[in-house]
Amino acid sequence: MAMEMRLPVARKRLSESLGRESKKHLVVPGDTITTDTGFMRGHGTYMGEEKLIASVAGSVERVNKLICVKALKTRYNGEVGDIVVGRITEVQQKRWKVETNSRLDSVLLLSSMNLPGGELRRRSAEDELAMRGFLQEGDLISAEVQAVFSDGAVSLHTRSLKYGKLGQGVLVQVSPSLVKRQKTHFHDLPCGASVILGNNGFIWIYPTPEHKEEDAGGFIANLEPVSLADREVISRLRNCIISLVTQRMMLYDTSILYCYEASLPHQIKDILKPEIMEEIVMETRQRLLEQEG
Amino acid sequence: MKETPLSNCERRFLLRAIEEKKRLDGRQTYDYRNIKISFGTDYGCCIVELGKTRVLGQVSCELVSPKLNRATEGILFFNLELSQMAAPAFEPGRQSDLLVKLNRLLERCLRNSKCIDTESLCVVAGEKVWQIRVDLHLLNHDGNIIDAASIAAIVALSHFRRPDVSVQGDEVTLYTPEERDPVPLSIHHMPICVSFAFFQQGTYLLVDPNEREERVMDGLLVIAMNKHREICTIQSSGGIMLLKDQVLRCSKIAGVKVAEITELIQKALENDQKVRKEGGKFGFAESIANQRITAFKMEKAPIDTSDVEEKAEEIIAEAEPPSEVVSKPVLWTTGTAQIGEGIENFWGDLEDSGKEDEDEGGSDEAIILDSIKMDTGVEVTNIGSQDAPIVLSDSEEEEMIILEPDKNPKKIRTQTISAKQEKATNQVKKPVKKRKKKRAAN
Repeated sequence: MAMEMRLPVARKRLSESLGRESKKHLVVPGDTITTDTGFMRGHGTYMGEEKLIASVAGSVERVNKLICVKALKTRYNGEVGDIVVGRITEVQQKRWKVETNSRLDSVLLLSSMNLPGGELRRRSAEDELAMRGFLQEGDLISAEVQAVFSDGAVSLHTRSLKYGKLGQGVLVQVSPSLVKRQKTHFHDLPCGASVILGNNGFIWIYPTPEHKEEDAGGFIANLEPVSLADREVISRLRNCIISLVTQRMMLYDTSILYCYEASLPHQIKDILKPEIMEEIVMETRQRLLEQEG
Repeated sequence: MKETPLSNCERRFLLRAIEEKKRLDGRQTYDYRNIKISFGTDYGCCIVELGKTRVLGQVSCELVSPKLNRATEGILFFNLELSQMAAPAFEPGRQSDLLVKLNRLLERCLRNSKCIDTESLCVVAGEKVWQIRVDLHLLNHDGNIIDAASIAAIVALSHFRRPDVSVQGDEVTLYTPEERDPVPLSIHHMPICVSFAFFQQGTYLLVDPNEREERVMDGLLVIAMNKHREICTIQSSGGIMLLKDQVLRCSKIAGVKVAEITELIQKALENDQKVRKEGGKFGFAESIANQRITAFKMEKAPIDTSDVEEKAEEIIAEAEPPSEVVSKPVLWTTGTAQIGEGIENFWGDLEDSGKEDEDEGGSDEAIILDSIKMDTGVEVTNIGSQDAPIVLSDSEEEEMIILEPDKNPKKIRTQTISAKQEKATNQVKKPVKKRKKKRAAN
């Protein structure tokens, strides 16, 4: 059996000459942001000794008179309208607890869920008893944030046919700050797979369904075996996403697609090697710059 | 922090692997992980590592008044703490269930078995007795806390030395360690806990489960035994139904394991004793190796490769036969030889086959390895195009041009399709692989 051995090599610094228009003001906890007292304090800052001091490590953002620090490595902070991918951790009375990489478990109320068949009626006691038939502990779902409670916990809903239980695919967990906010987070990539970019950092890659199933309402999991070609596309996409994450690139459909195309000359397992990762992401970055400017 | 839930596919994978008698770290069903015992500079301080699970044990003593109903016995006090660095799920207020269970089990194992002679801890009956306090801290949680904790407790107790006391009439003299050597505790036997994890309602059993296996297990059976095959404690949790012969079998296995572990403990204690007597260096700084992030060191992982051969044969049987490769070099003149004959020239029909290439994007990559020997010829042409013009003839030429070595030192490769090769391509029915000319596009 052939084995590959590599020696450790010092990692190169990410080159900063690639298209950063304005230098971001980066701070670490304890750094002074400004001594001007005319600003309003936003998230990630606190006032100490007449100075505005950062409490998290990240970049400073200023909107008129509001200064806040956006942390780079953080748990997911929910906002209304975000798409999230989560895993059911508990089945409680009339609701499910969903783990979404945030500080508190998110909540999916039974009344926020579509009944199979799309009927609209008040949820009865039988529905409550049948909850486990819909979603069990360990299931993955895609949902949208309906509301945020005062303590930061997020309330989800799946009131559309595009949300619901997820079937076969691959889950990649990344930091939530790397997922770019866009109009739509459900993408059918032309390379042969579909991807859901959850705002909470959970990315779901799955084979594109042949035909859209309108009546299922997203609860019937398709358990047919996935073909080898689809599996290869999905594994390659997953490795590309991992390489983008290690090089700290924002994740959106174009960047993932360009990275996929840049990785085609290499074997799928070679993409995880650091040198090839750098090469692929460099190419992706250049292509994205060309496309912008 | 709440524990990240285990995904369904990981759970299924672990259970399937256990059904096939495979464990993730390559151990056998009845194998323990590596146990490493290291001692600190003080007597009674030790760290036990069971794989990656680490427990620190510290024994201390104090003279106190005895309990009223046990005036002639010393006091033993056990305390196990799950420190927050052991696992993200351990928080100061959170782990009460597990903590109570472990503490109770430890107490039953060590106190009720009377492994320590409490009568010998009495100094003045009814007035002064020794209180021995065993503090255990879990430093890292990788499964099977109870085994590691029981080993740490008994090792720390065996290692501990209490100050010497002499009683003359009414006078009690407590000697400092400088005046008189401290005295070891009197330990009758060493009870050690052995854990058995059960899966699929008792069908499969594993000894010394690690953290992943603990998450998917159905139930746990803990047997505390000493090397004289006396059972000190048995506890079954998880609510699984165990058959009588299963429990008996487990106790037999526990007997074997406890004998091994006791031997290990004795050896470690003797080693430490020897080092101290000889005046060598002892303590954690010596025994615990520096774990540097920048240094690469991995422990040998036992991997079972006995079934690798069978699977390789399957792959080879299913794969297509590799195309013929002429391995003998043909020597034309001195300095010019030919190995193989190269593949067909595709440059003419690149535009037509562009669409076909995209369809074949998902084709097997395993077979490309076989034909790499043939393809290297084409590679040379692409690289060579930078330094010299290469004569690539179309299929019109029939004869082979041999270059004299002194006239043209540069390697110019001519691509010809001779009559022999045409016949060969006709015979081989399989479609010729069309490589994507990615480099040519640049």
